[in-house]
Amino acid sequence: MSETIRVKVLFFGAVADEVGRRVDELEVRTGAPSKSIFDRLLSDYPSLSTHKLLFSVNQNYATGKETLKTGDELAIFTAVSGG
Amino acid sequence: MRMDFFEITTERISIESIARRIVPPECGATVTLDGYVRQFTKGKETIYLVYEAYEEMALKEMKKLIDQARDQFEIVNIGIVHRLGRLEIGETSVVISVAAPHRRAAFAACEWLIMELKRTVPIWKKEVYTDGEQWIEGQSDSPSLPTAQR
Repeated sequence: MSETIRVKVLFFGAVADEVGRRVDELEVRTGAPSKSIFDRLLSDYPSLSTHKLLFSVNQNYATGKETLKTGDELAIFTAVSGG
Repeated sequence: MRMDFFEITTERISIESIARRIVPPECGATVTLDGYVRQFTKGKETIYLVYEAYEEMALKEMKKLIDQARDQFEIVNIGIVHRLGRLEIGETSVVISVAAPHRRAAFAACEWLIMELKRTVPIWKKEVYTDGEQWIEGQSDSPSLPTAQR
């Protein structure tokens, strides 16, 4: 069994501008919770913490406790402003 | 028969056609919100807006809103359409139509739907000014939505 898995991370709006891309693939240890990805992004891009951020896992708002598996689609974005 | 629909488009939205798509024989009133691009926000002039969405999730969230509205209000059908891309001043960005036997429930459901859409559906607007641009950040510090700072 592999020690790490790969997940897809999507960025939108102001977050995409700050990280300079719209999509990435990140490696994470098997069994890690979704929060580990979000924490890593916040530590790689400290400026993100000035925003009101929301996260999702597989197109549902995340609790941070989801156990990640290969192929999961995560996203990070600011509080929504449609309408 | 349910005639609900929820869509995301980059095309100009036709309000009348949306309102008429959801009318069944047992209804007597349709309330339609026409949300469009405002020129002045707190005195600052917007030249145009750009809307972006996480489309797959936005459609899922719209579907959830429709199901929740049906549980809470005496309504029959709901149609929601949101436009993406560049929108000029006065162009329609969102339409929510609610058909009901009686108007009161339709008004209440329409107001609830737009409030929830602005809080939960992953769509963002960027305001473009003569001297710059800015992504608008929503208000949602809502306890039902997890946040990074928790």
